[in-house]
Amino acid sequence: MLSPRWRKVLRDSWLHRGRTVLVILAMAVGLAGAGVILNAWALVRVATREGFGASNPASATLRVDSVDDALVARVISLPGVRLAQARRSTVARVQVNGATFPALLFTVQDFQDIRIGKVKLESGAWPPEDGGLVIERSSLDMSGASIGDEVRLSFGDGAPINVTVRGIARDVGLAPGWMEHVIYGFVTAETLSRLHAPSTLNELQLVIGDGSLNQEDVRTMAFAVRRNLEAAGVPVRDVNVPVPGEHPHAAQMDSLLYTQGAFAVMALVLSTFLVVNLISALLVGQTREIGVMKAIGARWPQIAAMYLSVAVLLGAVAVALALPVALIGGRAYAILKGDLLNFEVQRFHVPAWVIVAQLLVGLLLPLVAAAAPVWQGCRVAVNDALRDVGLSSAADPGSLPQRITGLSRPILLSLRNAFRRRQRLALTLLALSMGGAVFLGASNLRASVRGATDVMFAGQRFDIALRLADPQDPDVLERIARAVPGVLAAESWTGTRGTVDHGDGVFGNPFPISAPPAATTLLSPVADPGRWLAPGDGRVLVVNRALLRAEPSLQVGRRATVIIQGQPSEWTVIGITESGPSATAFAPREVVAPLATDGRATSLVVSTAADGDGPTLDVILRLRAALGDAGMPVASSQMMAESRRVIEDHLLLVVDFLGSVGWLMLLIGGMGLASTMSLAVLERRREIGVLRAIGARHESIFALVQVEGLTIAVLSWALAIPISVPISAALAVAFGRIMLRVPVTFVPEPNGILAWLGLVVGASVVGCAWPAVRAMRMPVAGALGWE
Amino acid sequence: MTALPVERGTPLIVLRNVNKRYPTAAGSFAALSDISLTLDRGAFVAIVGSSGSGKSTLLSLIGGIDRVTSGEVIVDGTAVHTLSERAMSIWRGRGVGIVFQFFQLLPTLTAVENVMLPMDFCNVWPPKERRERALALLDALGVADQGDKLPSRLSGGQQQRVAIARALANDPPLLLADEPTGNLDSRTAQSILDLFARIVEGGRTLVLVTHEASALRHASRAISISDGRIDVPTPNAVHA
Repeated sequence: MLSPRWRKVLRDSWLHRGRTVLVILAMAVGLAGAGVILNAWALVRVATREGFGASNPASATLRVDSVDDALVARVISLPGVRLAQARRSTVARVQVNGATFPALLFTVQDFQDIRIGKVKLESGAWPPEDGGLVIERSSLDMSGASIGDEVRLSFGDGAPINVTVRGIARDVGLAPGWMEHVIYGFVTAETLSRLHAPSTLNELQLVIGDGSLNQEDVRTMAFAVRRNLEAAGVPVRDVNVPVPGEHPHAAQMDSLLYTQGAFAVMALVLSTFLVVNLISALLVGQTREIGVMKAIGARWPQIAAMYLSVAVLLGAVAVALALPVALIGGRAYAILKGDLLNFEVQRFHVPAWVIVAQLLVGLLLPLVAAAAPVWQGCRVAVNDALRDVGLSSAADPGSLPQRITGLSRPILLSLRNAFRRRQRLALTLLALSMGGAVFLGASNLRASVRGATDVMFAGQRFDIALRLADPQDPDVLERIARAVPGVLAAESWTGTRGTVDHGDGVFGNPFPISAPPAATTLLSPVADPGRWLAPGDGRVLVVNRALLRAEPSLQVGRRATVIIQGQPSEWTVIGITESGPSATAFAPREVVAPLATDGRATSLVVSTAADGDGPTLDVILRLRAALGDAGMPVASSQMMAESRRVIEDHLLLVVDFLGSVGWLMLLIGGMGLASTMSLAVLERRREIGVLRAIGARHESIFALVQVEGLTIAVLSWALAIPISVPISAALAVAFGRIMLRVPVTFVPEPNGILAWLGLVVGASVVGCAWPAVRAMRMPVAGALGWE
Repeated sequence: MTALPVERGTPLIVLRNVNKRYPTAAGSFAALSDISLTLDRGAFVAIVGSSGSGKSTLLSLIGGIDRVTSGEVIVDGTAVHTLSERAMSIWRGRGVGIVFQFFQLLPTLTAVENVMLPMDFCNVWPPKERRERALALLDALGVADQGDKLPSRLSGGQQQRVAIARALANDPPLLLADEPTGNLDSRTAQSILDLFARIVEGGRTLVLVTHEASALRHASRAISISDGRIDVPTPNAVHA
């Protein structure tokens, strides 16, 4: 049986059940938010580690002209090489239900025996048969195709062929198709032949070492393989060595989860402010009871234990509510993350330590939060406690609100009331304004991302990019294009791949080099530091920041040896630009083309008079036809507006996740405000009784509470603006590290500020509605008699 | 109620040169000045005086609720003024029962639970015996049938009886009552005073702060205080 003092704890909690429930809910929301992210992180971590590991990803990929069985056998016999496999990737187009998408088709030696980058069949038939297509799962929704559908595949300007979707498979090593706006598929060499596409396997995928090697060790061994092959007369175009065991997007997703986790923990901490408010109010309201308990023999630790147990009780109930939500939400979020990473989360067993961590945080955080007010409240001298005159005497609002004049008496009363419990006001303001700061931070980040995308595309003055099936004469290309109706300007570009020679026989990963004419008018990005290409430039490179991150030696003014088509050449870096999340370099076509394509161009960029996707597509069709007629087939085409959408979609998805934490914090802050106002009403019952007795009407009492709540809300809004500046800066820095460098915003985004004002005012009106109604309904006699 | 074996006439409470000052915005205020006093075991002591005279302060110092500014307070051989907060709590819980003017029952506990609470804090009685003892005390005070009610459901007199039962919970030799009848009608007040007289007959010492002249009828000694000083020492029993 419970002893009286523990019964008192339970009954006191029940007595203030409205506020208790509010605090429990706020804590549960905070805990559930943090729990969802922690659980998802744990599940995704296991899924990526196990899923990606189980696919046996390639340690290195060597691009050669042709791979046959003998070459594979030769490579496997080399030291350190555990597995080798031949593959081909083909860029094509697929038309489904009238819509055309770019397609990336994979062909391997033996689909029945894929040993590297294993593919898992999800439904339908495997392996792909001649004339059949197996679609990678992450492209499925975007394509709208399903098993049994007939789709049209085409390569270059070749005639399209009809193929049947035979199966759906998952390749965890691929970035999701929906995100890349590309349809991944698996086809046989025979299907490629029917498409009139080259079908020779030209990629050599290797598994090197036992999984314990780091990227540099693997690179060293991959280059040893390269030297061996070249000694045997097999030229190697480039060598790509990813970070061993790490999914290409894993670091981004980890960083995203950490960032979200940090905000979720912040939301959780803010929710504990409500615990402080509740326990403080309980202690202030029971000062005399504390005195009585001390007078009849209670020691302060015994009393402290009683009030701390209230905090633990709140935490325990919040944990009980939050844990299942966090588990269910964590699963759903893990599936979403899995989709983002193209992983299947199969095991939903959250590790025990993750559950224990949530339990401990849920129980200990309110305990820690309550410690200070309990210490303060329980140490009060018996005589002081017994002399306590109760809550109604509380509160000098301070000199600042006293200076506010010129308003009606009831409004003044509300304004001054807001400042009466300054500690409680501070905690409520902090909770609300931190929520606002995160919301504004996300809003600023959204504007920054748009700004950064603008910067990225600002220098891009073309609407269409066409990749040619074979290199062509640049002047002829431009002449044909300019004759096409709707084309305003056209430039022939050359594209190739380069690799930085680190000077020790080891090379970096290959990166694309875009080579517009040095005097290009269709591309002029801002280079900072340094400058953009100019007429007369020789072997100069402008690199983007993504490439600079991968190759930090490519600083402005530095010289680098770059291998192009197997030949080393010396280049000087003249500028750094922002041009998207993938590593890219730019160099004058006049210099690159002779090295890579015998002076010919590989692509054509065009600016048009067309407005909108439809007319632009018409120009593409006309260009394709004109070039096709001239014997210059186009391999693929791209609308730049679409490219921009893809990049923005990627980036804004992350921003929206961050913004969702701001909403969570608004919810908690709103609950905090509701709790504060409900305490204020309780404490001022007598005052309310007096106001009613001297003639205040229902509406006046209702407005009194609402205006006080609005005062706090508007103050928190004003505070959120300066607090959002460092948060925005931190977000911009974190985002820059994870995704794309964005400008740091020191002036909050005006729309975000207004939106937050609307939200916080709305939260205040809703949160204060019940306390205001309670105040309004308070019987005068009861309120006056209350002590 | 348990009768205590008591050696009447031997000193239980000794106050020597007790001063109590409170700091106020207007300067230090002397609530008690140079009080020296000896109270015997088994006595029914009434402390009388006008409002603000210092009588409640005196009671607080004897009960270890407040501390002297200077001087000594010795109760049952314990130098109360030297005790730490923790030791004071333990001593107070076991050695003193306090009855307040406004009863001060905890509103969320029933009558019987209020009586059990000091036993709970001080661990004097085994847990299994606490309820039984609390009910016995309530029975002795005539409110056993109210045991499971919350204080808000009891009359003032009933609440004060429960408060007295709570004061007796740990069987203390000393009972301190601060105007226990001040909030009761005269009939109920009289019954409470009769109750106190019975408690003293049982061997306990009672120090009662009161305004009520009728209380003096029961007292074996009356001490009058004004302006923080004892007015007239009255060594003999007073029967008004």
